[in-house]
Amino acid sequence: MVQQQTPPTGQRDLDGNPVPDAPDLSWMDKTLGWGIKARVEPFGGGMTIDALNVGVYAEVPDHIPFRNRLPRGAYPAPGAGSIGGYYLQDKHEQWAECAGRLYEEGISRRWSTATDVPWDTAYDLPGDVELAICQVATELSQHASVETEVVSGWLQNLSPGYHEVKLYLSTATYDAARMFEGYRKRAMLNGGGMMLESPGGMNRTIMETYAGWSQTVLGMWFVRNALDTTILRYLAVHGPSEADRVLAARLIPDRMRMAAYAVDHIRFAISKKPELVIGFQVWLGGVEFAQARDLRDPVLTEALAIIFGGSVAGMDEGMKVVRRMLQDFVKMYLSRCKQANLDRSKSLSGAFQGMLSGMAPPPRPQA
Amino acid sequence: MATEAKSEKYITTFQQLMEEGRKNGYRLDWLLPRETFGAQINSNAEAGGLLLQDIDRGPFAQIPDWSDNMTGRPRGATTRPNAARIGNYSIRTKADIWLKNASQLYEEAVQRQWSSAVDVPWETMEELPDDIERAECQLATFLTEVEFVAGDVPGKWISETTPDYYEPRMFLISQIMDEARHMDVFRKRAFANGGGLMSQTTNVALSGGAIDSARDFTEMSARLHISGEGLVLSIFRMGERMSYNDAEKAIYRLAASDESRHVAFGVMHLQYLAQTDPQRKEEIHSYLDEIELGLVAGTGGQNPAQRGTPSNAALAILLGGGSDAASIEEGGQIALAVRQRQVKEYVQRIKVAGLGDRFENGRANATLAAYVSA
Repeated sequence: MVQQQTPPTGQRDLDGNPVPDAPDLSWMDKTLGWGIKARVEPFGGGMTIDALNVGVYAEVPDHIPFRNRLPRGAYPAPGAGSIGGYYLQDKHEQWAECAGRLYEEGISRRWSTATDVPWDTAYDLPGDVELAICQVATELSQHASVETEVVSGWLQNLSPGYHEVKLYLSTATYDAARMFEGYRKRAMLNGGGMMLESPGGMNRTIMETYAGWSQTVLGMWFVRNALDTTILRYLAVHGPSEADRVLAARLIPDRMRMAAYAVDHIRFAISKKPELVIGFQVWLGGVEFAQARDLRDPVLTEALAIIFGGSVAGMDEGMKVVRRMLQDFVKMYLSRCKQANLDRSKSLSGAFQGMLSGMAPPPRPQA
Repeated sequence: MATEAKSEKYITTFQQLMEEGRKNGYRLDWLLPRETFGAQINSNAEAGGLLLQDIDRGPFAQIPDWSDNMTGRPRGATTRPNAARIGNYSIRTKADIWLKNASQLYEEAVQRQWSSAVDVPWETMEELPDDIERAECQLATFLTEVEFVAGDVPGKWISETTPDYYEPRMFLISQIMDEARHMDVFRKRAFANGGGLMSQTTNVALSGGAIDSARDFTEMSARLHISGEGLVLSIFRMGERMSYNDAEKAIYRLAASDESRHVAFGVMHLQYLAQTDPQRKEEIHSYLDEIELGLVAGTGGQNPAQRGTPSNAALAILLGGGSDAASIEEGGQIALAVRQRQVKEYVQRIKVAGLGDRFENGRANATLAAYVSA
């Protein structure tokens, strides 16, 4: 297979290196496994990324010794060197078995806020409800914006050897961007626009996660995502217009894929390194504190109460729905923890216990 | 298409509502309409729906030349004095990242998403001669490797950019999505027809390391969007000539559609910078000096048509139809035409970006002229 090298004829490149007459074909034998054929899924799923994990390429190692862009299973070049970044080289730091499937699902469920939301149904709502929607939209949009920054910033640290994770996180960033622009569009639709920025405690907690990607996942997709998903579920039912209900309902599957990755990843990490549980528990205690502190600020809950109650006059009724919503949020969060073998039921913070009991949000501040 | 804002009319109403709420113990100090309140936007389903480029009005449409947004708030949102300064953004100067059509490029990307799983007719692939299959797989391995660059590096810069410039951020996010799909589709190609992955690029410099190293967004964008992706786009556009089945043709056609947006981003950003921050033109020319050296001497990497690399040899085999000397010779001639096309397209892009004076004043690499005139 290797073509005989012919001696250089005197031709040189700009660096002065001799240019051979015939190309070096030694690369034609450089493969770790030849004759592999991936199969298209028989029931319409097409050629999926997981279908490529066959033969020698099915092995996903526990550690990637390279800090460059070697595609997993490619023939390594001994002098390739390091590219910098990619310092998360261990499988337990990022892996989730479902990542490849989530990636393909994310692509197959693609949609557009421009054309898939019946925006014309959201005109001429009562002014207080419209402003309340704009406030909620501002906060959800900001949550998503922070999420895009965080996930995209981590990509350069995650080893390409676990490409399924990187692929899924690319779709997750894209999904978060869609939530950002979907709620910006909603806020601008009737001119209400972006209102008061979010309190920022959870944004800070998620961004300042230098302990590792797993900790980021816990804050961003166990806690914050559970809150956002619960809000979306309630908006999908109680949203004041069809556009509001459709937008929220469309976003829920995107959010759920993030949760699925998060739970699967943390469960995998704990299965490989049980000692991580203690640190994760401590970290989640801090995250719960930050989330509860943000929720003590009344802006988001007041806005939701107006939406759910139908007006400022209906806020007391609306606040009852908000309390049920926060109860559901904590239940969802605890469920995720339990599925990941990270039981929080006995160490839940007081504020979260309050929400779980239906007592929260905390007492109203005096006007 | 906005109707008149009606905020004046609402102010009194909202003050009354606020008072009513406060009597019941709610704070409601946030319940104040902004000046644009009541200005409806036509969602215009016939013209593509509610598009990002059409939504911002008033203060939300004011893109600051310099951003003091350190809390990550959405552009135009009201500030909270107690919000944490979490936004340690290095890009807070508009000219450093801006372009005029980022929203349009983002919306176009959303509309043109495709699936490597089902939109490529994998069933059209039939067994190929062994040398052709190995060449396909080597090229696919190379492209899989370099597509990581084009996703991971923009990701870093998104997190470095203030959300006041959300439009270019949104485009870069769509690029991450596109590049994930490219990485995925070329990996799929390597396994779809009885082959496998082949050799990694021999060193990181040849797989785009210089793009990672850039300390400035425009420097990075010139290396990635103008050079790297521009070169790859020229190859993808020649896909018809090196494809052996409809699946490969579809891959190159779909990937070229994505790459053309990425290149457009780079060109339009350079154009904006050249127009608004002309004192940086000399600096940008110095980046282009390096890029041109890469074009003619292959020092920049990311170019499968670069001489002396496995991917170049693979291209010659695919274009010539075999690995015998005559086929490689023929393929090499066609590959040379590819390189000429790469150079011509590069020259055109730089002219559109407003930096074409380098081709008139002798600044451009002299070897380029030979390619252009060939």
